[in-house]
Amino acid sequence: MLKKKDLEKLAELARMDLDGKGEEKLLKDLDKILDYFGELKEANTEGIVPMAGGTASENIFREDSADLNVDKNKAIEAFPENSGGYLKVPPVF
Amino acid sequence: MHFNDITIKSFHDSLKNGEFKALEVVRELFDKIKKEDVKIHSFLTLLEEEAVEQAERVDLDLASGKNISILSGVPLAIKDNMLIEGSRATAGSRILENYVSSYDATVVGKLKKEGAIFLGKTNMDEFAMGSSTENSAFGVTRNPYDLERVPGGSSGGSVAAVAANFALGAFGSDTGGSIREPAAFCGVVGFKPTYGSVSRFGLIAMASSLDQIGPFAKTVEDAEILFDAVRGEDPFDATSVKKDFFPENDLKKIKELRIGLPKEYFIDGLSADVKNGVEEAIAKLKTLGFKFKEISLPHTKYALSVYYIIMPAEVSANLARFDGIRYDRIKDISESKNGRSMLQEIYFKNRGERFGAEVRRRILLGTFVLSAGYYDAYYAKAQKVRQLVRNDFDEAFKKVDVILTPVTATSAFKIGEKADDPLAMYLSDIFTIPVNLAGLPGISIPVKKYEIGGKELPIGFQLIGKHFREADIFGIGKQYEKI
Repeated sequence: MLKKKDLEKLAELARMDLDGKGEEKLLKDLDKILDYFGELKEANTEGIVPMAGGTASENIFREDSADLNVDKNKAIEAFPENSGGYLKVPPVF
Repeated sequence: MHFNDITIKSFHDSLKNGEFKALEVVRELFDKIKKEDVKIHSFLTLLEEEAVEQAERVDLDLASGKNISILSGVPLAIKDNMLIEGSRATAGSRILENYVSSYDATVVGKLKKEGAIFLGKTNMDEFAMGSSTENSAFGVTRNPYDLERVPGGSSGGSVAAVAANFALGAFGSDTGGSIREPAAFCGVVGFKPTYGSVSRFGLIAMASSLDQIGPFAKTVEDAEILFDAVRGEDPFDATSVKKDFFPENDLKKIKELRIGLPKEYFIDGLSADVKNGVEEAIAKLKTLGFKFKEISLPHTKYALSVYYIIMPAEVSANLARFDGIRYDRIKDISESKNGRSMLQEIYFKNRGERFGAEVRRRILLGTFVLSAGYYDAYYAKAQKVRQLVRNDFDEAFKKVDVILTPVTATSAFKIGEKADDPLAMYLSDIFTIPVNLAGLPGISIPVKKYEIGGKELPIGFQLIGKHFREADIFGIGKQYEKI
């Protein structure tokens, strides 16, 4: 069973404010979902190699060169705030 | 113009024969969209100016006697998690409300080269998280067959645009069924390629070991045309693979394909209309001479749990990039509280206020299954059971070439019906999720041609192929739709 304290810890790890409402429902929903996952315990996975996904199992290499064809000015324009060709960020300290 | 019966193939022939001009079609479609999409809400952004320009280019090419490609002038709709340079890309989220892309997704670039026309960007569940398109920050999309019902999701806007005859085809993304489930609910063809067949560069990532881009179309033939235009290796997506694709047109070879029916998919929970629909499809394929065989995929029952551990884990990592610094941000954060630094304050506030409820739920769930003390019991265990799910398919594909299943357990459900119960919503994808876990190609094909305004809600059936054997399921699908 997840507690409110656990939820706050998870939100802290995820760098995300909880909105202060609907947390009881959220806890109940998460409990229900985690309870559902319980069925995995009965699956016999002895000696099974974890599958990380994908269809190709070989490494793919490329030249270490910049070849992305993005217009620098457009990339700067896409940033929320910019000034004189620089990206502007809020003071963070 | 009657768009109902026009396919990409027939559109191309008519355009070449001079029966209409690309510009006329585009103008007429925008009139139709502006009139009818008020009710359906398939589009978030219309790209009328760009579409008109592109149509004029196609008409000029034709007038000057140039050879045009099969997709030249074809009006398409693009899910709003794929980037088109200079256009908004929201992924259905407040946190990207004002984000304008500075480059094209690989898929978009390829379609541009073919001369396709983009009508606009379509609505979706926020960051593709949902099965009904009710989770969009910008309002729900409605099913053109019944406005009280969902179109499915998460690619609900793309599917509705095709079903409502606004577009001849569309692109969506499929992480656990987000192309195939809506296709089944809206009576169109929806195709998820093999993992690695199509580059995801420029697709806003949800769960990277599962995401694939694929087309919606009115026919299997059209879906194949769209797939063929976008597939292939891309240096910007290291998971994309170089594979040749040969459409299978040899009828004799297609007829020899053995089709498996997994007993775990034909369960009591199937609604009567889906059961009847899928049986109808099987019966029709039998009259074409196809041979069926019962098979077993014993770990199917675990697929949903595996998916809802692995996907949120990857979601929690992928969505970390939405930090309130890049892309878009809340402007007026001036002081921090709770002893946090300003940087933390910006993260917490942007992410807390601008992600929707389902996205927050999955980020928290993903953070939980990856956290110290729980990792082995949840994430590591799920990765092992994922391998078992894949092994089931590998075993089955020794006995059969293609697998046929239902796509969904019911036809389109009512708006609001499952909105308060996440687990019930998650269960909407039980027949499509295993395909993503194993990285296989899957297609949803309507059992028959449905009429908007008719009495029936559409039903689809799913064909699953071996890795990179897209040609097999297209081959069977094309035979099916000829009946």
